Amino acid sequence: MPERNTPQKTLESWKQIAAYLDRSERTVRRWEANEGLPVHRREHEKQDTVFAYRHEIEAWSRSRTKCPGPSIIDEGASLPAAKAANAYLVEHDAITRTMHCYVAGARAGDSDLMRPAFHPSATISGYCQGVEYTGSVEHVFQWIDENGPAPNITPRFARIEIIETIAVVHLEVEHWSGKLAGANARASDVFALLNCDGEWKITHKLFHWH
Amino acid sequence: MAKSEYLTEYDKIIQTMQMYIDGSKQGKSEVMRPAFHPNASFFGYAGEHLAIGTQFLFDWIDRNGPAPHIEPRVVSVDILDSIAVVRLEVAGWSGNLAGSGVRMSDLFTLLKTPDGWKIIQKAFHWHVAERSLAA
Repeated sequence: MPERNTPQKTLESWKQIAAYLDRSERTVRRWEANEGLPVHRREHEKQDTVFAYRHEIEAWSRSRTKCPGPSIIDEGASLPAAKAANAYLVEHDAITRTMHCYVAGARAGDSDLMRPAFHPSATISGYCQGVEYTGSVEHVFQWIDENGPAPNITPRFARIEIIETIAVVHLEVEHWSGKLAGANARASDVFALLNCDGEWKITHKLFHWH
Repeated sequence: MAKSEYLTEYDKIIQTMQMYIDGSKQGKSEVMRPAFHPNASFFGYAGEHLAIGTQFLFDWIDRNGPAPHIEPRVVSVDILDSIAVVRLEVAGWSGNLAGSGVRMSDLFTLLKTPDGWKIIQKAFHWHVAERSLAA
């Protein structure tokens, strides 16, 4: 896709994000909460303000199997067709949607946003400051809420491997911040997922802090 | 990770995986138990039924009995410092529950503990639709 010279790379309010996506503010807030729409927050004394990167919003739109409509993308940008005929892409997109819920929750410091991404029996394991940590995913939710917002995290998909009903995702996350993460930390995460009636759910999160 | 370091850890991971393979072959869960972390989990569909928990796996292995002709293939071993992912393709499954000549794809996630590499999760896909693991 060619680089576009857009004068403004960010959208600075819910209103602007909603206008860009040609939807109501309520809808885009719901998309952020439930579908991982990448919205960032700046911390202020009284109330956080939101902003979004246009390229992230576009990438998110493209990653959805059912696109809300062609009007959400600038002229000149083509939608790569995620046709139902290509079963791999459909599953790949479904997996990235689940992972975006996780990322949205991590970014906002709000475990409610990421809960839908996990299977009820999900577990975690890994080392945190040299201490082995294994158990229920509730530990993750607690940690995320205590850590608070980490607005600058940069997630990269290093690998998505799908074997019919099971999958593994390797996510590299840079620029972690927050009350527990400190500043500019990096985590390597491996997620195991299970296809539950067409929706992919995380059954295990394995992490390594660098 | 330096190359020699990768190979050292790779060999240790394969030793852990070998316990799983030996236990499967002999139909003895006690042989594979040391490969698993005490908090390990197990996920996958046995036909329509979602099987969860290592106890399901261990019971199944014991009830299935010997599967002397399984052919395990290591598809990938990815190591990220203290964590790892192993993909195993196992053909030629047989036994009381497995039937004969069936195939399983496994994704193992492992954690490096003071006692060595331990399987923390096994996720499986059974490539037989009509036969139920829960039989």
